[in-house]
Amino acid sequence: MQAQFPQKTLLSLVLSLLLLSAALAMPGCSSSYQMLLSQLQRLANDTEDPRSLAEPYMHHQSLNTTTLRKSCTEHPAAFPSEDALRALSKLDFLHTIDTMLGQVQHRVEALKQQFVRTQNFPQLENAEYKIRGIRNNVYCMSWLLRRSQKTLEPTQTSSRALLSPAPTSDTFQAKLDSCRFLWGYHSFMGSVGRVFSEWGDSLSRSRRHSPRRALHKRAHGFRHSRSSQRPMPRSQLPW
Amino acid sequence: MAFSVVLQKAFLLALLSLRAYQNEVFDEPIQLVPEVQNVSTSSKPQQVNLQWTVPNLAHHQELKMMLQIEISRIKTSNVIQVVNYTTTVKWNQVMHWNWKPDIPLECVKYFLRIRGMVDDDKFLLQSSWSNWSSWQEAHIPVSLEPNTVLVFPEDPLVEEGSNITICSVYGRNQHNVSCYLQEKPIPGEQLDSHVSIFNLNNVVFFRDTGTNFFCNSIDTKLEDGIVLFVSKVLEEPKNFSCETQDFKTLNCIWEPGVDTALAWKQQPPQNYTLFESFSGRRKLCNKSSCDWQITDDSQEIYNFTLIAKNYLRTRSVSVSFHLTHRVYLKAPHNVSLEIINTTKAHMTWKVHSRGNDYTLLCQIELLCEKEVIHEHNVSVHMSGDYLFNDLDPDTEYKASVRCADATHFWKWSNWAEKTFSTPEAAPSEALDVWRIVRSKNGSRIVTLFWKPLSKSRANGKILFYNIVAENQDKPAKSKHCSIPAPASDTQLTLDQSSYKLHITANNSVGMSPETILVLSRESGNQEVVEKRINGTKDGFLISWEPRSRDVISYIVDWCAHSQNQLCDLQWKNLGPNTTSTIISSDAFKPGVRYNFRIFEIPVQGPVYLVEKQTGYTQELAPLESPEVLTSNLTSHSFTLSWQGYASQFQAGFIQGYRVYLKSKEMHCHSGWDKVLLSDNSVCCNYDIKDPKQKIFTVENLRPESDYEFSVRSYTSVGENQNATFMMVTTPDEHSHMLLKTMLPMSLCVLLIMVVCYWKSQWVKETCYPDIPNPSKSSILSPIKYMQNPHLTIMNVKDCIPDVLEVINKAEGTKTLYTGAGKLHAENVTKLPPVPTEKDSCGPVPCIFFENFTYDQLAFDSDSHGHVPGPLKDILCQLGPLTPPKNLLNVLGNSNMKSLTGSPTEETSLIYVSQLASPTCGDKDSLTTNLPRPVHCSEYKMQMAVPPSLASPALSKNSDLSSMILLGKGEP
Repeated sequence: MQAQFPQKTLLSLVLSLLLLSAALAMPGCSSSYQMLLSQLQRLANDTEDPRSLAEPYMHHQSLNTTTLRKSCTEHPAAFPSEDALRALSKLDFLHTIDTMLGQVQHRVEALKQQFVRTQNFPQLENAEYKIRGIRNNVYCMSWLLRRSQKTLEPTQTSSRALLSPAPTSDTFQAKLDSCRFLWGYHSFMGSVGRVFSEWGDSLSRSRRHSPRRALHKRAHGFRHSRSSQRPMPRSQLPW
Repeated sequence: MAFSVVLQKAFLLALLSLRAYQNEVFDEPIQLVPEVQNVSTSSKPQQVNLQWTVPNLAHHQELKMMLQIEISRIKTSNVIQVVNYTTTVKWNQVMHWNWKPDIPLECVKYFLRIRGMVDDDKFLLQSSWSNWSSWQEAHIPVSLEPNTVLVFPEDPLVEEGSNITICSVYGRNQHNVSCYLQEKPIPGEQLDSHVSIFNLNNVVFFRDTGTNFFCNSIDTKLEDGIVLFVSKVLEEPKNFSCETQDFKTLNCIWEPGVDTALAWKQQPPQNYTLFESFSGRRKLCNKSSCDWQITDDSQEIYNFTLIAKNYLRTRSVSVSFHLTHRVYLKAPHNVSLEIINTTKAHMTWKVHSRGNDYTLLCQIELLCEKEVIHEHNVSVHMSGDYLFNDLDPDTEYKASVRCADATHFWKWSNWAEKTFSTPEAAPSEALDVWRIVRSKNGSRIVTLFWKPLSKSRANGKILFYNIVAENQDKPAKSKHCSIPAPASDTQLTLDQSSYKLHITANNSVGMSPETILVLSRESGNQEVVEKRINGTKDGFLISWEPRSRDVISYIVDWCAHSQNQLCDLQWKNLGPNTTSTIISSDAFKPGVRYNFRIFEIPVQGPVYLVEKQTGYTQELAPLESPEVLTSNLTSHSFTLSWQGYASQFQAGFIQGYRVYLKSKEMHCHSGWDKVLLSDNSVCCNYDIKDPKQKIFTVENLRPESDYEFSVRSYTSVGENQNATFMMVTTPDEHSHMLLKTMLPMSLCVLLIMVVCYWKSQWVKETCYPDIPNPSKSSILSPIKYMQNPHLTIMNVKDCIPDVLEVINKAEGTKTLYTGAGKLHAENVTKLPPVPTEKDSCGPVPCIFFENFTYDQLAFDSDSHGHVPGPLKDILCQLGPLTPPKNLLNVLGNSNMKSLTGSPTEETSLIYVSQLASPTCGDKDSLTTNLPRPVHCSEYKMQMAVPPSLASPALSKNSDLSSMILLGKGEP
């Protein structure tokens, strides 16, 4: 009896330390599921608005003519569709967001090269901040979900290859491609916000789905760049 | 010398041998045919590069040739350009020639061929053009799908204002292709079935991200485009100059002009390179300045070329100078100031000089309150100094110094500054003092005013003002007071003695020279007539007649004339020979009257008031309208008065008043004018030209009429517009008379009524004494009886009955009631009609029985036993619900009982009033008069009737009736 007491105390101490270390393992992450979810929803809603990035880009690149605007907005770059996102499990969904936003981040960074001075286009930096914020929150939410599910569910998506830009040869097509990409990004974030809004208040519920099918569906949505029709390869764009 | 002669001969020999060789070799005209090695094209930039050689040249031969290149477009016969140029060709050397096509190489094919001709002085024989080389094709092929639209050239870079041709190529399925520059449709020129060209002339800069040119097919909705990058024209750098501060570094600066950078890395910002021709050094600079290190101390002359360059243009500007002529010294250092006294300071400084051999020019400035008050130049070598004189005490100064090379002036150095302050000194000027003297209760109230000393005269902060009133008659009564600053006036109460006032201003160092004012016994303020003057916006011209010749000075003082007693007195000192002056002040306002007084300050005697003048800088229309009171209103006139109107405080001299009168019949009487007002209403106007007249009677009015009137004052500018019309109604013509007669009459009547009322009691008591009402007697009050049975017994001795009748049952039946309701004729004087519902409360005279007896029980049976008064009263009170039959039953039935029949009989006695009430409406009298004691003598007759009046017992003991009257307790 006397031996059991220290053992129990030791066990509880170890568990406490484990939990503490787990908590410390995610510095800066909120442990509140609700808070994270609301932040993600808010950020997604903010970035959904084309006025935050695509519209200023069109203005700066003189694409805000009737024909070119139409060409840009009617053929946005293919991001995973809302149905595909909805079909994913929460963890896969978060993973997909992270992957896609990683590419967006890379592309936004490349967009800077299109300007003489980035001070003339402050929306680029704002977009970078927001994307970074969303990715951080996605990371934290992912950590929360994994902790609650105990077992790590392997994520089955890898969207990295899907969004790699086609070689855009000339500046005109690069402008249009960038515009379509930004338009698709806003649309994607709108879908993300709507999927987040469907998440329940509870942390426990997690959808089961067929991510492969979803990704297959999404992959079909991608649009091949018209620039491939050019007679010969032109200068490679920064991305 | 011998060597040179030998060399010359050898050269001549060689030349001759060469001529011989030439004549031998080129006996025929020389035919050097250029041979095209290669024709290459590039898309960006659009360019054709032609490589050729002259294969027939001798070994190491080098000669000058003229070349001609022919360029055809689409087909060889379509020559579009012939280019001539001269170059030196060498043996075994591939020559290059570049050409920029006007239409992009992707859209059309070009053909080139070349021929040459020797154009070298070494060949004396006439040469001719060689044969043409074969045609070479220059073209960039594109793979064109049937549904494709392509635009060329790709991302062209052009300078603003230049021309460019853009072409579009489309597949065979494309027919309706439209092209746009941004949103502007650009008409094209069809080159062939699938190529169009678009000429853009004088292109303008739109945005550094380029101008979009695109074509789209209406059929397939496909579009392709290019971005036309238009660069601003590179400007030549302006104001390029170089200078040194330390002979170690040359700092060159310039104004770069517009930035020609373009986005998408199409063109970086223009770069600037500094090139020095003597040293041959070159340095890449930043946008607007460059630091050039002086590496060679011996180099004194520099020739700089600044080269600005972008992808499209190069600009350069040069400057050449001697180094010592471009010395921009550093600011002097170690500046120090030594304060010598209140007016002197000594400044020293050091300069950055190359040595005592160099003379520098230094400029010294002294600033006071940001204004340069002193400037001086001095020559120095290594250090300098300067003495500032005539400084003001207690003043802050800023001393500045800058230097430049005195021999070759290039540029002043920056200023080196030092701030210092001089110490305080005693005020240097006497105060300017003036006074107002008023008499009050035998004393003189002297208000002294003084103007604060200017900063330059105060020489420090004025702490207080000393005033010594020296009594000239009684020196022991002198007064002294000290007024702390910043006061500018004070008041003294002095007696009628002569005084000499000494006024000084004091600071921490000392006092100012004193100002002396003399107050004589005589006031000198004799009455003078006030004169009106006209001012202008520049002020007032005041002039006066001098009174005497022994005058020290004149003083003109003035004040705004306002109802406010406080006055900001101003004055001006004038010389003795002055007889006029212009008084101007920023404080003068239009519409304000200013009063001026001119005083003479004599050598001896009191200050003398010479003149009083008053005026306005600009008169305005009156701002206030008179407040008019009406009086003496009659049917034909009324009087207006505005005595309280302060005409002297108006915005101009009041010249009179205008009375306006409106009425329905717009008939203006004599003296009145008909005028049209600003609101287009018509009224009569009477002009009162005397501004002192403030009363006016409006006459010739109609009785019982409404009139509107208004009184407006006016000045030379006009009348006040704020006045409103007031209404007055004239009374009836007769009402006045009526009032005169009716009022006294009414008063008389009222007096009579008062007298009558006062005497009414007497008259009443005399003529119509009050008749007491028994029912109102407290003694007989049944209420009180009910409440207090002891009071129901009337004391016999209080009443004097005139008849007493005892009724027996048998006899009473016969005597009192006969048959059907006939009363005994002896007892009944008049039988009233039986009241009906209709007339129960009518104004019928209620003269009832004198002696009447009835039984209380009969009333009790019908709950009407309480009969406090006469029957008529009872009937009136009961109204229609009170049948008289009860009474008749009492009389007719055998309800009369013996007095002994009941133990309560004694309390059932009822007294019937022997007086008739004049009316039946006096219901209240029953209760109101109840407590009043009534004199029993006023009862004619009354009796008590026991309830058992008709009982047999009563007949047997008829004697008992007298006992009842004695009442209870009296057996």
